[in-house]
Amino acid sequence: MNRSGLLAGAIPAGAIGGVAIVYLCLVGMVEKFETLDVVGGSVTFNWILLLGTACMAAYVAVRPRVIGGRRVSADRAAALASGAVSGLLTAAVTGAAIGLGNLIGIDAVRSVLRSVSPVLMGILTLHMNAWVGTALLSALLIAAAVAGGLLRTLGSLPRRVLVIGAVAVVVMGLLQRIVPTALDQLNVGRDWLYGRVNLGLTTLGAAVVFAVAALAIWFGLGERLRVVFRPPAASERADGEEAHPQEAGIGSRRMGTVVAWLVVAGLLLVLPYLVGPVVSRILGTVGIFLLLGLGLNIVVGYAGLLDLGYVAFFSVGAYFMAILTGGQRVTFKGFQPPAFGANLSFWVALPIVVAAAALIGALIGAPVLRLRGDYLAIVTLGFGEIARVVFGSTWAEGLFGGAPGMSAITKAPIPGVGFQFQDDPRHFYYLALLFCLLAMYVSWRLQDSRIGRAWNAMREDEQVADAMGISTIRYKLLAFAIGGAVGSIGGALFAVSLGSLTIKSFQILVSITALAVIILGGLGSIPGVVLGALVLIGLPGVLSQFEEYRLLIYGGALIAIMLLRPQGLVPNVRRMRELREDERSQDQWAKDAVAEDLENAPEPAGGELEA
Amino acid sequence: MTALLEVRDLSKHFGGLYALNELSFAVDEHEIVSIIGPNGAGKSTVFNVMTGLYRPDGGDIVFRGESLLNRAPSQIVRLGIARTFQNVKLFPNMTVLENAMVGQHCRSRSGVFGAVFRTPAQRREEQRVRERAVGALGFFGSRLAGYRQDQPAFVLSYANRRRLEMARALATEPTLLLLDEPTAGMNPRETLELRDHIVRMRDELGVTILVIEHDMRVVKGVSDRVIACDYGQKIAEGTYEHVANDQHVIEAYLGTKATG
Repeated sequence: MNRSGLLAGAIPAGAIGGVAIVYLCLVGMVEKFETLDVVGGSVTFNWILLLGTACMAAYVAVRPRVIGGRRVSADRAAALASGAVSGLLTAAVTGAAIGLGNLIGIDAVRSVLRSVSPVLMGILTLHMNAWVGTALLSALLIAAAVAGGLLRTLGSLPRRVLVIGAVAVVVMGLLQRIVPTALDQLNVGRDWLYGRVNLGLTTLGAAVVFAVAALAIWFGLGERLRVVFRPPAASERADGEEAHPQEAGIGSRRMGTVVAWLVVAGLLLVLPYLVGPVVSRILGTVGIFLLLGLGLNIVVGYAGLLDLGYVAFFSVGAYFMAILTGGQRVTFKGFQPPAFGANLSFWVALPIVVAAAALIGALIGAPVLRLRGDYLAIVTLGFGEIARVVFGSTWAEGLFGGAPGMSAITKAPIPGVGFQFQDDPRHFYYLALLFCLLAMYVSWRLQDSRIGRAWNAMREDEQVADAMGISTIRYKLLAFAIGGAVGSIGGALFAVSLGSLTIKSFQILVSITALAVIILGGLGSIPGVVLGALVLIGLPGVLSQFEEYRLLIYGGALIAIMLLRPQGLVPNVRRMRELREDERSQDQWAKDAVAEDLENAPEPAGGELEA
Repeated sequence: MTALLEVRDLSKHFGGLYALNELSFAVDEHEIVSIIGPNGAGKSTVFNVMTGLYRPDGGDIVFRGESLLNRAPSQIVRLGIARTFQNVKLFPNMTVLENAMVGQHCRSRSGVFGAVFRTPAQRREEQRVRERAVGALGFFGSRLAGYRQDQPAFVLSYANRRRLEMARALATEPTLLLLDEPTAGMNPRETLELRDHIVRMRDELGVTILVIEHDMRVVKGVSDRVIACDYGQKIAEGTYEHVANDQHVIEAYLGTKATG
């Protein structure tokens, strides 16, 4: 029974894998990444995509399941079988698509689906005869799927070692434009790691990367890092510090923490000079979106108010910074000063911008105080659009430059220091870093305070929070104001980094990206927001080949995250509980009910009244 | 001496249903008063109106000489009225200690500045909030002490959830505590224990208590006075013995006696 249950899961998973492969072909990724070499000129990224999809489908299919009320993990035979079934389905779907294409005729298909080219067909059939090629491709897909299935039968540690080692190789292979540059900067020989002809890792390099990653996992580096970087828990702080100074463990751990943070700080400081101006610019953009993510995290993650119009604060920050620091309107008669403007220094203007954004946040918050959930989301969506329309409108052209936008925005100089935030992305990086660290610090402190508790309580149950003495009106407005203020800094930095603005940069896509960043990372979690920004903004920027697939990757990543890891990559502990609450509380209730039934026979209440 | 709480001609209707119909009663300081009545008699509605969740359609509620009408629930808590809910309402994903600390919210005042810069005043206050929350949890002895304080509230047993809800209410440092069916769903042993807790709250903490209760052993055990309601009106008031033997009360619970 168990086996048939597992096999039944393999069929849809395999079919979905096949559909995913066909999709990758149709959007053109398979053909495009033919030239993206990952290891030694033989392993190209398109094959990693193809085989990786088959492998992942089988891996998901063989996951432990609850069958008949018990959690069943597959044994080796079952894993092998369902891996094979899953792979067979994947291969069948892929093969059917290839056959269908050939049947209709490549040229006919191509007139509708642009990516279906003879080149693509050549890749899929391994440049052989269609029948032999398809059979070979199927064999490869099935082999990958069986490997994915068998991966499940390994213990947790060897599995992590293998998976993370492989991922490390792929990531290092993809970073082929950045890591070699950094190594060159450091005058470290790099020919052993990256090839000169095929740009990917050399075979030796791949082996070394795999070995390093695998050893790191094997010796529990992840766990150690987590312990070292974790801020002391609330209970430890209360009585741990003074009460147990004799425990050597705490002292040495604190030492380790300090050293670890110093290393991180040092890395952050030298990073732009290691990776060069191009990547520094990307890191600057990551910083801008990190600020947006941190601000939105306060509104959505802490206070639980779903805000889809967050781009409003981004544009307020950018435009207010522009008009306050001598930005000029772009008109067909040349540059003209805006109707209201000032020529302040960046450092003077920023507090004004932040205060204005906080005020606007509270103003936006006020009319929607009574709304919750979906309704709030829709209304904020409207505010985001209103902001875009106002800043880009003809009737406010004299103020904000209308459609052509603004130019000549401050370079944010620091008096006496030759930093060029606009001209040198490496310098801008430091500006972004400064404000990101500030925002992270503020978020962290707020979360662990009376205000954070009030937000938490409000998110869990607004009515009860009110009945326990928390003025929900006040705390909602506060969340909107602080979140808006942080987001506006992101906007201000965006204006500084470019020096000019057009309304095209303030589409609703900004709101969605910021939301995607915090959902991917884990709502309410500061490390999560950092990781989310790095993955969603940094990776597509660094891997410029992916640029045109950015939105496809967002969509795919979000779906996968929501299905497989709804708490996000680095979850907030409390959020994780929320998502598991249902199962657990049901368990608890069931146990309680049984225990109580056993303990005592029910007695009618109020028996004395009748007597 | 004027009463601590005075409810005057309070009315509340939902459409055609009169949940409260010109209900009046008073509670003196350091009293334990029980409200009894069959289901749908409007008992919980009294609490919801008093704590500002519902707006009454008529009448007035006066607490220490001040009217509670047109005040937000959070303001009413600050004035010194705390409550529990009939179907336990905790913040399930916050820890036990955090739940109690939320109760102290209205007795603390530090804001954004204090939180960000962790000023000495804020740290002192946070320490005080923590101590008082621990104190409120400590009222229930070892039930909510020790390792349990760092557990999320949802892992607690049903009885402990009820206790935590009461501890959270006590953490608001109330003058008047409203308990809505505190023993519902508890087993007989837990019920007796809670009965003692209710009396101790008054004796040791000096809290005045208004309790809605169905379990007559508890009502008998704790009440200085009992108010019986039906159809949103007071049908009897007095000592437990008096109310329990009242003809109207018996009819309300058992139905009208067949006459003739």
